[in-house]
Amino acid sequence: MSAVASGGARAPRTATTLAAYYGLLLKTQLSPARVLGIAALGAVSILLGVLTRFDADSAQASADAVGAYGLGLALPLATLWLGTLVLGDLVEDRLLVYLWLKPVARWQLPLAAVLATATLVVPLMVLPIAVTPLVAGAPEVVPAAFLAAALAALAYSGIFVAAGLWFRRAAWWGLAFVLLWENALAYLAEGFSRFTVVGWAGAVLEGASDVSAPVDAGSLAAGVVVLVAVAVAGWLVAVVRYRRGELD
Amino acid sequence: MSAQPTVVAEGVSKWFGQLVAVSDVSFDVGPGVTALLGPNGAGKSTMFRMLCGLAQPSKGTVRVLGRDPRLDVGVTRAIGLVPQQETVFERLTGREFVALAARLHGLGEPEREAERALETVGLDPADPRPLPAYSKGMRQRAKVAQAIVHDPQVLVLDEPLTGLDPRQRVDLVALFRRLGEEGRCVIVSSHVLAEVERLGSRVLVMSQGRLAAAGDFHDLRALMDDRPLRVRVRTDRPRELAGALLERGAVLGLRLDGDDSLELDTADARALARALAPVARDRGARLLEVRQLDADLEGVFRYVVEQ
Repeated sequence: MSAVASGGARAPRTATTLAAYYGLLLKTQLSPARVLGIAALGAVSILLGVLTRFDADSAQASADAVGAYGLGLALPLATLWLGTLVLGDLVEDRLLVYLWLKPVARWQLPLAAVLATATLVVPLMVLPIAVTPLVAGAPEVVPAAFLAAALAALAYSGIFVAAGLWFRRAAWWGLAFVLLWENALAYLAEGFSRFTVVGWAGAVLEGASDVSAPVDAGSLAAGVVVLVAVAVAGWLVAVVRYRRGELD
Repeated sequence: MSAQPTVVAEGVSKWFGQLVAVSDVSFDVGPGVTALLGPNGAGKSTMFRMLCGLAQPSKGTVRVLGRDPRLDVGVTRAIGLVPQQETVFERLTGREFVALAARLHGLGEPEREAERALETVGLDPADPRPLPAYSKGMRQRAKVAQAIVHDPQVLVLDEPLTGLDPRQRVDLVALFRRLGEEGRCVIVSSHVLAEVERLGSRVLVMSQGRLAAAGDFHDLRALMDDRPLRVRVRTDRPRELAGALLERGAVLGLRLDGDDSLELDTADARALARALAPVARDRGARLLEVRQLDADLEGVFRYVVEQ
């Protein structure tokens, strides 16, 4: 090693450090078990599309499958699995110290975690959801399904990355959130869908196509704004925790 | 003490609910190697976490190069940490692990810097195995490599010699000493006295969350050498044995413990050992057990704290 050089070191470039975090998190998340598990959830969505092909109104039937199963259950579960673990694993394994003790702005790691989660969820879950109307014989619904699923994936990524940093047993909290908040309450409590991701994803699905979604919280434009805002809010909440939390 | 301390802790306390991990600790450390010595649970790792900004002191302040490591992200550029935990990134090779640290520190040629750091700690940069496939000693050296890759001014090493074989220990101790001689502030924690002796002369001793002693290792060593040893003897005639040992002046003091035990204080364990058997034979006492107490490091620290 040479003589002390840290005094003259330059601040690392944002693009470099963000890419380093992103690449690491992608690598640590890609385990065969996770890929196979999430791909199985995606395969069920496509299977539902095949079954709805025989429905008289296959477009509406496929939209029901996309809304109820894809957006309401499979997508949040897949994102929950990846999102809570992307940083939660590092906390549990006490590895976060290697990323925290660096001259890097604290907003970067949570952002990389949200992006890495969304990056994995898109091919493994969003694409199968988007393909569901196609195999059902309703290709006109594909763009709306893709847009709704992609935005919902982003929103869920923000929520679950934050949960992974805030809660010790984030997966269980997340599971309760998906089943009770995003499903039971969204469907059963009148007006509650406005407070759910699945409600606004349904709004995008409905607004961008000629089908109706199982739950719908408002207009297409509002849906896009709210889902992006939820993702950003989740990221910011994660940043707050990352900045203030104490590390082992 | 250095004229311009690199690391300063002032009245630092840290508690978790009712548990006080660190209590009112103050010290300053300058360039060179300083050993933070203490038994397990003394609060060394908690102190290190606060020095690196990983934890906020409940009370008091920590400054590294005059800056708050908790709030000032920029000061982390000057800090290298080898944490105590053994976990490593499962999917990274040693080279990827160290290059990641180099990238996050903004080094211009992260791969080359990683190679250099790995070679410095005696690891092969071309080793294609992931870190979990490394031996414990190799993983430990990889952790040291990631801590020094950016030439930090302050190096915080939490039990860095754990798991290393004697040869590796010698090499790393030499490296730490060299880094200290080059002007870096190297703080090394250990619960092994012999390790500390080789690391350098300045020591901070922590016990039960408090700073028990600070200063030159050789003074501490002398203090410990003067420490009376405590020996427990179980026998069927403790009173007779006690009287005879006091008569012969073989002990500094003693205490009867129950019906069959004695606790003896002696400055010369060998003299006591020589005296004990003949005295017991003369008094017709059977020696059921002879055991040295306070031989562990905890006992040593307790003695130091009492002084």
